[in-house]
Amino acid sequence: MMANNQKIGWVQKIIKTFGMYNIGLIISIIVLMLGMSIKYEYFLTWENMKVMAMGFVLEAIMSIGMTIAIISGGIDLSVSAVLPLTAILAGFLLNGGFPILLAIIIPLVVACIIGFMNGTMTNLLRVHPFIVTLATMLTLRGINLVITKGATISGFPKTFCFIGQGELIGIPFPLILFAILAIVIGYSLANHRFFQQVYFIGGNPRAARMSGLKVNRFLVFVYVLSSFLAGVAGIVAAAQYGSANNTFGQMAELKVIAAVFIGGASLYGGFGTMFGTFLGALFLAIIYNAFVMTGVSTYWQDVVVGSMLLIAVFLGAYLKKRGVRR
Amino acid sequence: MANNVLRVEGISKSFASNKVLDQVSFEVEAGQVHALVGENGAGKTTLMNIIGGIHQPDEGSIFLEGYQTHFEDPLQAIKSGISIVHQELSLALNLTVAQNIFANREETNRIGLINWKALFDKTRALFERIGVDIEPTMLAGDMSVGLQQIVEIAKALSFNAKIIIMDEPTSALSDTEVERLYNIIDDLKSRGVAVVFISHKLNEVLKISDKISVLRDGKMIGTVATSEASRGEIIKTMVGHHIKDFFPPKSSGIEEEFFSVEGLTSKGRFQDINFSLRKGEILGFAGLIGSGRTEVARAIFGADRLDSGKILLDDKEIRISSPREAIDQGICYLTEDRKALGLFLTMSVRKNIISAALKSFISRLFFYKHREIKNKSKEYVDYMQIQPFNDEIPLISLSGGNKQKVLFAKWLCANPKVLIVDEPTRGVDVGAKTRIHSDLRKLAEDGVGIIAICSELPEVLGLSDRIAVFHEGRITAILEGEVTQEEVMKYAVTKEVDDGK
Repeated sequence: MMANNQKIGWVQKIIKTFGMYNIGLIISIIVLMLGMSIKYEYFLTWENMKVMAMGFVLEAIMSIGMTIAIISGGIDLSVSAVLPLTAILAGFLLNGGFPILLAIIIPLVVACIIGFMNGTMTNLLRVHPFIVTLATMLTLRGINLVITKGATISGFPKTFCFIGQGELIGIPFPLILFAILAIVIGYSLANHRFFQQVYFIGGNPRAARMSGLKVNRFLVFVYVLSSFLAGVAGIVAAAQYGSANNTFGQMAELKVIAAVFIGGASLYGGFGTMFGTFLGALFLAIIYNAFVMTGVSTYWQDVVVGSMLLIAVFLGAYLKKRGVRR
Repeated sequence: MANNVLRVEGISKSFASNKVLDQVSFEVEAGQVHALVGENGAGKTTLMNIIGGIHQPDEGSIFLEGYQTHFEDPLQAIKSGISIVHQELSLALNLTVAQNIFANREETNRIGLINWKALFDKTRALFERIGVDIEPTMLAGDMSVGLQQIVEIAKALSFNAKIIIMDEPTSALSDTEVERLYNIIDDLKSRGVAVVFISHKLNEVLKISDKISVLRDGKMIGTVATSEASRGEIIKTMVGHHIKDFFPPKSSGIEEEFFSVEGLTSKGRFQDINFSLRKGEILGFAGLIGSGRTEVARAIFGADRLDSGKILLDDKEIRISSPREAIDQGICYLTEDRKALGLFLTMSVRKNIISAALKSFISRLFFYKHREIKNKSKEYVDYMQIQPFNDEIPLISLSGGNKQKVLFAKWLCANPKVLIVDEPTRGVDVGAKTRIHSDLRKLAEDGVGIIAICSELPEVLGLSDRIAVFHEGRITAILEGEVTQEEVMKYAVTKEVDDGK
């Protein structure tokens, strides 16, 4: 027994560091990328990598907040409506002659207020955040349409558009922004005392309360953060396209949620990591990119994404059964 | 007199129209163990929840070291030096032991990043101080209920509280673990901590407490010094009349073997389990917490997978791969973890009672037979004396002991051939306990084979006809006839199996 343990020590170490599930995901990603690059040599080029990443970066930014919301045992559907709202607000402010900094900060503050309302309503009404954020999403979508009358706003200054189109040392700025956010928040989630509370609250809210955690206050923070990140994605979107309209981010909430679940988080709360979500987002980014590459009708896109989600759920459930009950 | 660290005065509390506490006054002195006893539903847990800031009193006040205080939430109570070991386990099962104990109190650096090494070291030091051997990095969900209870106690100790309230702390502990808890309590006393000890087990209470207060129907009946208290007197005060704390007589007519298992093995949990069960007998499973008793029961019930071994019922080998199949074969299992596995908390008492026998209450067109369900449920509510008598209210509003009664009624309703009961009297008051013992005996007399898993030695000795003793996943001995506690303990702590393996 002992000798055996020593021999496979490094394998166990890797499994322990990344988790069995993440390793499975990494292998799938590698296989997918290898397969694609054998068939299409353009696939593994720097140019295509940029296109691939930029195609999913908005969802990726939102998935950071969604991960924490889902670990807490909740969900935030409103992100896909906060994104166009901030883009539109930023557009109005820019065209109204506001300085760029204010045109970024004001929409973000609005996003935070929406998140605050989501969290507070969930606490006060004691209903599942699914319902509260669904209501918020529908309302905001309507508001987006009302304030733009369905029209597209454009003509933003160049400096503003750098946020979405510029590059630093050859890397698109949105990707750098995502990396910074994901690393800082992800590291905090794993190691910071404040962020660690989410695992208690998601795992056993009653116990969390009795241990003296301020559960309600923390949940408000969770939705503010999620909404704030959706706001950031909205600003990036406006800068990337140099315009803003109410169709931005439609159905994005589902892609974001899919990325988080493929990344191994549990709908029941208590489980999930930022690294897993990153892998989930990367996986989906590759899938969407692969469709463009292969020229298969994009109608099939969601069929594949849906199936992937299902496979991920099965795999997660299977590993949990094996893992938790040794 | 002025020595009291905690005093509550005239506390009243109602839930809906149900008055749970009525003008309760109570005080605790530093360095003393104050026991709080009373039947199920007497209001003990509610009183503690008020002191711990979980509920707000309707009337009355709380004084800490002479100053009136008021707790808005549990955090304020914890900060004021009150910590509670809750009866219903309250750990986050997805986290490690260390994270659970130091929830949001982890050692951090200046910007709040957790120092994991310090956290685990601190937990290890805490466990060393109280003399238990638990790995701090273990997931709470991977541990047995007994170990979880110890973690819960460790957590309460980690606050360095002035007042520690323990609500039925020993209900999931084995005898050695209970001994350890006594030592911990002695240590707390010597350091001037006040301990409030809620328990159903009068032996315990008489052994470790300095004072005993009796609560009945939400009223404080009285407080006596333990040195002047007698067992019978306390029981009388608790229930208002005398109850004999005797076990029913042993089986009179044991018949032939009808159920047996051969070589049951589940890797890492238990190996080579052999025993047989005779009609009309109660077979006790004794052993320390974590010795594999529950695991064997779960495997027989089809809740966990078996690696090898045979199960024979009425001389025929049967295959059980799910609880459904086990129930169909007449094998029922009354779980030790009633909250998680045994009951549907949000459903009515009635639906819970019939839940294991649903098939017999469904008409040919798949509709509920409401009238029969109602009658059957009423019958068991009366039989088990479940309170309140209304069986349409959701289970969640019942006290802990009454939930246990419902769980028991549920399995009786399924007409079992083999009934496995895991800690059947955990958290149940003296009166109900005696009744459960005689109910089990009556069922055995009616030809049901009963396997009783008990951690309390006197209970397993008093109740069973034969005792299978477990140690680290093996049966080390099957004892019959006049057995002493020492004998059982001997086999429960030895590694050697009886046949010299």
